[in-house]
Amino acid sequence: MTDLKEKLELIGMSLSFFIPELVLTSGILLVVFLGLIKREKDSLLTLVSILIFASSFLSIALNWEAYATPNRLFGGLVRSDDFSAYLKLLFDIAAILSAIMTWRKTNNQLHLSEYYALMMAIVLGAHILVMSTNLIMVFVSLELISISSYMLAGFSFSKRGAEGSLKYFVFGSVASAIMLYGFTLLYGFTGTLDFSSVEFVQQLLGKNSIAFFIAALMAIAGFLYKIAAAPMHPWSPDVYEAAPMPVIAFLSVVPKLAGVGILTKFILAINSFGQSTVDWQFLLCLISILSLTIGNFAALWQKNPKRLMAYSSIAQSGFLLVGIASFQQQGVHFMLFYASIYLLMNFLVFSYLQYFESFGLTTLASFSGAGRKFPWASILVLVGFVALTGLPPTAGFTAKLFVFTSLWEAYQVTGKEILLWLLIFGLINTVVSLFYYLRIPYYAFIKSGESSEKANNLTVENFIGLTIVLCLLLLFFNPGLLMGWINKINFVL
Amino acid sequence: MQDIALSLLLFTPLLVAFVVLFLPSTAATAFRYLTLAVNFLQVIILLIILRAYDPALALQFVEQQPWITLDLGSWGVLKAEYFLGLDGLSLPLVILSVFVMLIATISSWKIAKNVKGYFALLLILNAAIIGSFTALDFLLFYLFFEFMLLPMFFLIALWGGPKREYASIKFFLYTLLGSIFILIVMIGLYTSVHDPSVTGKLVHSFNVLHMSNATNFISNSILDPNNVWQIGWYTARQWGFLLLFVGFAIKLPMVPFHTWLPDAHVEAPTPISVILAALLLKIGGYGLLRIAFPIFPDSAVYFGWFVGLMGVISILYGGLNAMASKDLKRLIAYSSVSHMGFVLLGVASLTSEGVAGSVYQMFSHGIISAMLFLLAGVIYDRTGNRMIGNYSGLSTKMPGFTVFVLVAFFASMGLPGFSGFIAEIMVFLGAFKSNSINGPLHESLAIVATLGLLIGATYYLWTLQRMFFGPYNLKGNLSGAHMPDVNQREYSMLLPLAFVALFFGIYPQPMITIIDPFAKHFAEFVLSAGKSLMLNP
Repeated sequence: MTDLKEKLELIGMSLSFFIPELVLTSGILLVVFLGLIKREKDSLLTLVSILIFASSFLSIALNWEAYATPNRLFGGLVRSDDFSAYLKLLFDIAAILSAIMTWRKTNNQLHLSEYYALMMAIVLGAHILVMSTNLIMVFVSLELISISSYMLAGFSFSKRGAEGSLKYFVFGSVASAIMLYGFTLLYGFTGTLDFSSVEFVQQLLGKNSIAFFIAALMAIAGFLYKIAAAPMHPWSPDVYEAAPMPVIAFLSVVPKLAGVGILTKFILAINSFGQSTVDWQFLLCLISILSLTIGNFAALWQKNPKRLMAYSSIAQSGFLLVGIASFQQQGVHFMLFYASIYLLMNFLVFSYLQYFESFGLTTLASFSGAGRKFPWASILVLVGFVALTGLPPTAGFTAKLFVFTSLWEAYQVTGKEILLWLLIFGLINTVVSLFYYLRIPYYAFIKSGESSEKANNLTVENFIGLTIVLCLLLLFFNPGLLMGWINKINFVL
Repeated sequence: MQDIALSLLLFTPLLVAFVVLFLPSTAATAFRYLTLAVNFLQVIILLIILRAYDPALALQFVEQQPWITLDLGSWGVLKAEYFLGLDGLSLPLVILSVFVMLIATISSWKIAKNVKGYFALLLILNAAIIGSFTALDFLLFYLFFEFMLLPMFFLIALWGGPKREYASIKFFLYTLLGSIFILIVMIGLYTSVHDPSVTGKLVHSFNVLHMSNATNFISNSILDPNNVWQIGWYTARQWGFLLLFVGFAIKLPMVPFHTWLPDAHVEAPTPISVILAALLLKIGGYGLLRIAFPIFPDSAVYFGWFVGLMGVISILYGGLNAMASKDLKRLIAYSSVSHMGFVLLGVASLTSEGVAGSVYQMFSHGIISAMLFLLAGVIYDRTGNRMIGNYSGLSTKMPGFTVFVLVAFFASMGLPGFSGFIAEIMVFLGAFKSNSINGPLHESLAIVATLGLLIGATYYLWTLQRMFFGPYNLKGNLSGAHMPDVNQREYSMLLPLAFVALFFGIYPQPMITIIDPFAKHFAEFVLSAGKSLMLNP
């Protein structure tokens, strides 16, 4: 009986670190319940959801010290630490921004209660995924994200939406199956499910490297699917094209960053401090080079802004992976900085794409003359694209400078040529990316359209856009504001 | 005043650009006069600077403020500064910038399409150019360097000629590619260099002066001159130099990276052509003199012959292309390629004459090319056509214009009495002397390069003959065009330029006094530091 009592105490202690997740869980129930008694298109649902995400955010931010100290919870299934806490803050911000975007999407707001419940489920899954240290927990939380995102992707309730959603589901379930098979093999090799434990690493060192390589590769493939990194990327353009804009913005940030978070932890574990017989650094560099090149070059031919942003997000995954590929503490910090900036840039661009979409601008060519009609919106979205390209004076440049610095440092330490190639490919790709990132501004400012009557400049989008642009500029001129905080994060396996 | 003079020069246009954004777009005249006011204010600040500038001192008007200081734990501290200063290299170029920007504003007076956007971009460009010429922190320099691209892109793409979209994208991609090369080296440099003024802590510095001192490299870092990494055929330092060289050579532009220039020039509106030729190209030469050569003196000595050779190729190839051009603006653009080749040749000689000649050439070419593009603009304004073959005997209808063309062509040819002559003669002297002081260039390069003068004389005299002499005739569908002579506004731009070109051809001493201390120090430093680093790696 004392055993049970101890366990209950442990669970009670663990639950006290689980408040954000508990908030989200009760949020799901609350939103579903509200959906039963309220009319469909009620902005009360949006308000409640924003409040729930905000309280999840605040419960972490206000108790930063408590969440930032490493704590093994629920008997070692998850661990709360500052790395995961920081990512969780990013998820919550992304969810709030998506909810605001949904609120601004005045047409086609259907089944809002289910919509927000699914969104919360994804955020919840992402929260748990980045905390997981146990392979079972990884799988469960990843599936929570996946299944909810399959449904969310189809929320435009059109034939295309259903097609995109189904494609996402079919590819996704195969990826999950492969990943799960990899997990079972790893469990067989090591006898433990806790990949952050010493036994896991020790057991791996003596094992047959080929079998271990295949097992770990299978597991990584599942993460890459979530990140939409090459070669697991082909689903994303179709899904992005069919899904509603707030959903794309949300999916391009939350599952991606969650995947990057768990990949960071997992690959550092199997790398075994460089003692692994397999060169994981090489593999990660290769994936990164592939994602950058495929994403950027494929984006060049796109005529639809949503597909363009899908390929852009594949390329951006490559840049996120650059930070991890250095296999250094500093690189992980720089990756977190990049992730934060990526969140801002992406939401800036997507919220404007939605704004333009509401005026019927759905192909690149239709943006002709938009610079005249929507001067402020066009200028602000231009800053977003400039930041995505990585030009000064935006924080997009600082983020790229940082991740490539970590790469250079890693090259200096290891002398591996692949790191140099990644550096060269990454930077050359910046030039390629300019070509398509500037296409919307190009049509907007340089091609002339038929009408030149001006739209109202005082919109919510412009207010949010201006705020994000100011953040991007501020973080260029003073990156220390954010980086100083990220640097205090002590990444442990 | 002295300690904020450069900031004033830099931030006035930015501030006014911000004000312009919030004015109603109907106030077209206000934008023109505001920009002109900024230009005049800059002239006044420049005069104050010139009064206080002492050529005997090295770096002056220094402003050094902490900008980004980021503690990265075990990895050290990242430190970038707001670090501006003037010396014998940057002062002539700042003078040029202020002067040419004033002329460009006057030349923009007739712009009628989206006046607000145009002048806002022009002001931003102004600040970025001044910033590039005065920044002594690599990150700050890079910021201004990149900040020039977007305004320039829109200025060409929105106010340019029929093929402006192609030309502007080409300009942007070429320059961005160049700046990526520079970025790679910048990342390498700041991770390899520490700030010696801070003890007890590792501070990674972006300071160009720190980078130019071989003792400030962290030992065993990739770019450490005492323990060099080998990557493929060359050492890491040599790769670093080559990447910087290509990055700046695209901007210069050097053959074979010059193809963006004729397109950009032909499509750009006249004032933008003027800025492009007179100022933006100079940033390439400035980057070589400020960054590539002093930071990698060993590689500079090693590759000096190559730089000189590429300079000679640019001189000859640019000249031959100019000869074959049928479009007047294209001819002038190729002549720019040819003249910027002299800059490369002079720098590569690593003699004080050659380096001083290079800086002088940048100044002189800035004046002369501005004048040439304005003259091409005069014709284009009247007929909307720039084909050389369509005109003949213009001298009878436009005598005043012909006088200016004669001055500009002779100055650009390098005839004695004009600033181009002084610059080119110094470059030749330097290139010829280089071998005797163990510099990297062989005498034959100087001899071959003189052919460039011949080619220059050929295409200019031929153009004069075709367009200005003989019976008055306009071909194509221009026959009815009205060709009035140069008007008052055009006089106000062309006269000062012609005067400056003549003045610095007859009495170069004031400019030489400014440049010489820098050139002497640069040549001695690069040659001796380069040789010693090559001997004891």
